[in-house]
Order: sequence, then C-alpha cells, then structure tokens
Amino acid sequence: MIKLGIIILQVCFLHVFLFLGTALKQMIPLPIPASMFGLFLLFLALYCKLIKLKWVELGAKWLMAELLLFFIPSAVGIVNYQQIFSIQGVKIVLLIAISTIIVMGMTALTAEKISARKRSEQH
Amino acid sequence: MMVMFTFITYVIYLFSKKIYTKITVPFLHPLLVAPILLIVLISITHVSANQYLQDSKWLSHMLGPATVAFAVPIYKNLPIIKKNIGTILTSITIGSLVAIFSTFLLSKLFHLKYDFIVSILPRSITTPIAIEVSKEIGGLPTLTTVFVIITGIMGGVVGPSVLKWLSIKTPIAKGLALGMGAHGAGTNKAMEYGKQEEVFSSLAMIFAALITLVWGALLIPFI
Repeated sequence: MIKLGIIILQVCFLHVFLFLGTALKQMIPLPIPASMFGLFLLFLALYCKLIKLKWVELGAKWLMAELLLFFIPSAVGIVNYQQIFSIQGVKIVLLIAISTIIVMGMTALTAEKISARKRSEQH
Repeated sequence: MMVMFTFITYVIYLFSKKIYTKITVPFLHPLLVAPILLIVLISITHVSANQYLQDSKWLSHMLGPATVAFAVPIYKNLPIIKKNIGTILTSITIGSLVAIFSTFLLSKLFHLKYDFIVSILPRSITTPIAIEVSKEIGGLPTLTTVFVIITGIMGGVVGPSVLKWLSIKTPIAKGLALGMGAHGAGTNKAMEYGKQEEVFSSLAMIFAALITLVWGALLIPFI
C-alpha cells in the first residue's frame, strides 16, 4: 500500500516535468513532442543533481513496465478505420515485415563492424 | 462509465498478459489479444468506439509521463552509454534513416493512401513517442499505434532469424538491432539473449526515438 502511494506521488511529480516540457515547447518552435522536452529536462535535473534518483525511480519504473496498458485504447480505436481490414491492411503488414528485416539487418551489421574495428584497435 | 471502462481495460490487460506468460506465441501477444477482446466487448454492448476512447482517455494520457520516465534508464546507464556512444549513435542513425526511407519507398511502391503514409512513417519508434511524432506530421495516432504494434510483433518474430542469417555475434549489435527494429517487443526478445543485449536494446529504443525526431525535424518540410 505504501509502495502504491509512492508510485502515485512520483507519477504526479513526473507530470511536473511534462508541464515544464509543454512550456518549453511553446518557446521552441520545433516539431518535437512536449514529452520529449520533459524527458530532456528530467535527465538534466538528475544529471545536475537537482533531484534525487529515488524521487522518481519507482514511478518511472511502473510507467515503463505498464507501457502496454496505456496504448490499448488507441489500438481499440482501429475499428474507426474500416479501410485497414482490406487489401491495404495486407500490404501494410508486408511492408512492415520487409522494412523491419532491412532495418534490423543494417543496424546489426553497422554495430558489429564498429565493435569489431574497436576490438582490433585494442589488440 | 468512465471508471468502468478504465477498470475493464485494466482487467483485460492483466488477463491477456497472463495468457502470454503461459503460451508465448506471437499471435497471442497482449497487444493483439487485449484490443480484440475489447473490440468484441464494445460491439456486443453497443458502445461506440468513440465513447470507449472518451472513457479510457486518461490511460492514453499516461503515455506523456511514461515518455518523460525514459530519462531514468538513460541516467542510470550513463557509463555504458559514454563507453559505447560512437557505436550507438552510428548504428541508430543509420538504422532510423533506413527505417524512414524503406518505409517511405515501400509505401509509395504499394500505393498507400496519404493518411496511411504519414501515419506509418514513425512506426519504428516506441509508441508513446511515435504517437506524438505522428500528430506533429499530420498522421492519425490510432493508425500509428497499430503500425507500431505490428512492427513490434513482427520484429520479435523475424529478429532472431535476421541475427542468425547475418551471424551477428556481439551483444551490442544484437541488442541495438532488436531495439532499433522492434522497440519494446524487441527489448523483450533481447532479454532472452542476456543482460547486455537487454540494456543495449532499451538504449537503442530511446536513441531511435531521439534520432528519429531529429530526422523528422529535418525531413518533414520535404514530405
């Protein structure tokens, strides 16, 4: 029960950074979401020791662990887009499969090459 | 009504997570099962999708603070990030560019409609941020969510085979590829490989979001 209270308090505290991020977004006209500005501000606050890790750690951990829950409603909204249950839908699944294979392959090969080079430099 | 649908969503979420821990097959992923159960439920009870979305709105609101929360793992893994910053930045920069361009070219090739194209572009980044990016570039957040979910599930399925075909050996390359290609679901898969893979995968997920935002800011004027 105490743990639940701490999580709720910390999630509220994380909202402070979200609001600060929203304020910052109004000042900086870039297509960057307010929550990203919030992420950046929270990182700075932790890095500059303005706040302690334990003030946000439990709340952050909970939010990240239950991430799936928060986008279930958006997924249910798909029923509003009937077109997806058609040939378009099949094309999209195919597109995603091809693109995901290419993305993973390229990322893995790049990282593997760089770390191999690093290792040979060390020896 | 409001509390009820939030509560029902939560119960169905717990239930579908439970099924997935018992039977781990891709098509029983909680993100497929839970929305399908809810869609069935609202159609039986004649609740409109918009009514449901209105009632469960505050669950979606939590995506904001959840994104902010990603600052915590970045801060905690700072020594690992510093040590591997070159590899992480180069791989994810290339990965996210490949993601944007291959998605764009394929959606042109497949003659997708404009709404679908702008909604599918941010698909390779984690949902809370993908939704925001989608809004920024004029996409439809619901469609984007579904595309991100398909990407995650797909990545979890094809990921291990891709790594095997290319005979990828280092934990950093495995982790970065899974996190870049399939964000949260990829990170879940990375856990099966080991601790290092998991850390690199979650870092890849966060960096993919950050770097995609940079690409977005640079490329959006040309869409």
